[in-house]
Amino acid sequence: MTGSRIVAIMGKDFREFTRNRFFVFITLLVLVAYVAVFWFLPDSVDETVHIGVSNSVLSTDVGGVTESGTAGFALEIYSSEEELKTAVEEGQNDIVAGIAFPPDFLESAAAGETPTVRLLVPAGLPAEIQLLLEGAVSEIAFGFAGTPPPVDPITEAVVLGVDRAGNQISLQQQMRPLILILVLMVETFALSSLVAIEVQQRTAVAVLATPVRVVDFLAAKGIFGVGLALSEVVLLGLLIGAFAVNAPAVLMILLLGAVLVTGFGMIAGSYGRDFMGTLLVAMLFMIPLMIPAFGALFPGSSPTWVKALPTYGLVQAIIRVTVDGDSWSQIAPSLLLLAMWGVAAFIVGAFILRRRVATL
Amino acid sequence: MTTSSNPAAALAIDVTGVRFSYGDTVAVDDVSFSLSPGEILGFLGPNGAGKSTTIKMLTGQLEPGAGSIEILGMDMPGQREEIQARLGVCFEEKNLYLSMTGRENLVFFSKLFGVRDFEPETLMERVGLSARLDDRVSEYSKGMKQRLMMARALINTPDVLLLDEPTDGLDPVSAIGIRDLIRREADRGAAVLLTTHDMHEADSLSDRVAFINQGTILTIDTPDNLKLAHGQRSVRIRSRQGDDVNEQVIPLDEVGTEDRIREAVSAEGLMTIHTEEATLEDIFVEYAGRGLTG
Repeated sequence: MTGSRIVAIMGKDFREFTRNRFFVFITLLVLVAYVAVFWFLPDSVDETVHIGVSNSVLSTDVGGVTESGTAGFALEIYSSEEELKTAVEEGQNDIVAGIAFPPDFLESAAAGETPTVRLLVPAGLPAEIQLLLEGAVSEIAFGFAGTPPPVDPITEAVVLGVDRAGNQISLQQQMRPLILILVLMVETFALSSLVAIEVQQRTAVAVLATPVRVVDFLAAKGIFGVGLALSEVVLLGLLIGAFAVNAPAVLMILLLGAVLVTGFGMIAGSYGRDFMGTLLVAMLFMIPLMIPAFGALFPGSSPTWVKALPTYGLVQAIIRVTVDGDSWSQIAPSLLLLAMWGVAAFIVGAFILRRRVATL
Repeated sequence: MTTSSNPAAALAIDVTGVRFSYGDTVAVDDVSFSLSPGEILGFLGPNGAGKSTTIKMLTGQLEPGAGSIEILGMDMPGQREEIQARLGVCFEEKNLYLSMTGRENLVFFSKLFGVRDFEPETLMERVGLSARLDDRVSEYSKGMKQRLMMARALINTPDVLLLDEPTDGLDPVSAIGIRDLIRREADRGAAVLLTTHDMHEADSLSDRVAFINQGTILTIDTPDNLKLAHGQRSVRIRSRQGDDVNEQVIPLDEVGTEDRIREAVSAEGLMTIHTEEATLEDIFVEYAGRGLTG
C-alpha cells in the first residue's frame, strides 16, 4: 500500500507540474536555449600566436629561428611594412602584432650597428605580449649578429592546477557542466515551488490525514524531485554530448547531482511563503551552487571556499569524465564528495520539510 | 496500547484528559469527551478556543502532551494509519489541489485511502457538483470548494467524520444540503464531530453540544437540556388592541398559567406566541462570559 500511495502522490505532482504553464515553459525554454547555445560555442582552442613579419629577405631565417625554438608561434610574412601595418590594423590572418624589420637589418646587425625594428601592435594588446615580442626581436637580432644573449635563462614552468598546454578545454566543454547545473537549478525551483504550494495551500495536511505516513509523503517528494531533475538533465546531457565518454559515470554524477538539488528544493519549498518568496529562497541556494560551474570557465586552481561548495564535486567529476576521460577510480574522490553533499542535503531537506508539515 | 482495531467499540471517540501546548501557550487543557456511533457532537467556541487543536489531535496531526485519545477502540497516535483509514476530515481551510479537476482531486484521495472501484460521479452527485466534475477546482466558487471538501471527506465511507466549519461560505440552500448530508451520514452510523460558529447549525444538527473556551470544555449536553436548564420557562404573547400592541410574558411554572395562556390565546387580535427559551449563544455567554464571535 505504501508503494501505491507514493506512486499516487508522484502522479499527482507530475500532473500539477505539467498543468503549470510557467514550469513547462521554463523547462522547454531551458532545453532549447541551452542546447542551441552549447552548439554555437567553439569546440576547439587555437593555442597558436600569429605574428606578422615584414621584409621577405628575413622571412625564411626568422621563420627558422622561431619554429625551432617556440611551439605555437606562427609567422605571417608580408612584403612591406605598409602591408604589415594594414594587416595588424585589420586583424588579418589572426595576427596579434607585427614586427617590421628594416631592409638593411642584416647588414646593420652584422656590422655591430643598432638597427631599428618597429613593433606594430594593435590597441589593447596585453603588455605581456608586447614585452614578449620585444624579447623575441632582441633574440633574433642576437642570432643574426652571432653574439650570444647576455643571459642564458633556464625556465622552469610551475603550472598551478591542471597543465592544459596543448590540451586546452574548449568553451563548449567548459560550458557543459555549467549548462547541466543550470538545468538542475531550474528543476530545483520547480520542485521547491511544488513543495511550497503543498505547504501554502495546506494540501499536505489533507494528504497526511489519510493513511499516508509522513515518510511516504517525503519519499514521494524526494523521488519525484530526483526523477524530474534527472530526466531533464539526462535529456539535455544527451543533446549536448555529455554521455560520449563513460556514460555510466556521467549518469551516476547526474543522479547524485539530482539528489543534491532535490534536497535544496525541499528546503527552499519549506520556507517559501508565496511564488516570489519561494523564488527568492531558491535563488539564495542557486547562486552559490552555480559558482563552481562558473569557476570551470576559468583555468587554474579554485579557491578553497569554492571547493567547499556542494556542487564542486559535481563540476569536477563532470569535467574529469567528459574532458579528461578519467576513469571511475580517478573520479572517486569527487564522486564521494558529491555523494556526501547529496545525502546530507537530502536528509536536511527532508527533515526541514517534515518539520514544516508538522507545524501546518 | 491497543494493537489491533476494535470495530465493535462502543464509543467512536473517547478523549480523556487531553492537553496540548504551543510552547508556553496552553491550547487545550484537560479536555475529555466521548462520541458514540451515529451521534453528532457540536463543538462550539470562539476563535482560539481550542477546537481546531482538538481536531488536529484527533486526525493525528498533533500529539497530545498528556491524556489519551481512542478512536474506534484504537489508540491515536499509536495506530494512526488504521484510524485514518476510517476517518473522514473536512478542514476549515479549502486545501484542495486547485490545478486539478474535482474528479482528479477525489480520485487522488481515493488512491491514498486505497478505495477500490471508486466512483467520483456518485459522490459529486451527493454534494450537488456532478455538473462540475471535470472542471478545475480553481474555477470553483468558495461554496463549491466547500462542497468538494465535504465530498472528499466521504470518499472512504468513514466511521468517524471530523468536520471543521463544514458550511462555512455556503449559501443557505447549499448549507441545508450539506446539513442533510451530515445527518444522513450520522444515520448511517458515522460519529460526527462538528465545529461551528453557527448556533442554528449546532442546534439543528447536534445531538449534543460541547462548549469550549480557552482550551477547556465548559459543558457538554443536548441542546434541549441546555436550553431547559438555562432558559426562562415562559411564553411571550403579543396581541393587537386597536392601534396598540400588547405584550405579556407568562411564566410556565406558576399557579394559573394554563388559564392565563388560554385567555390570551382566545382574545381578539392575537399576533404571536413565543417560548422564551435561551439560545445556545446566550448559554455560551453565561458559561464563558463572552460571545462566540469574540
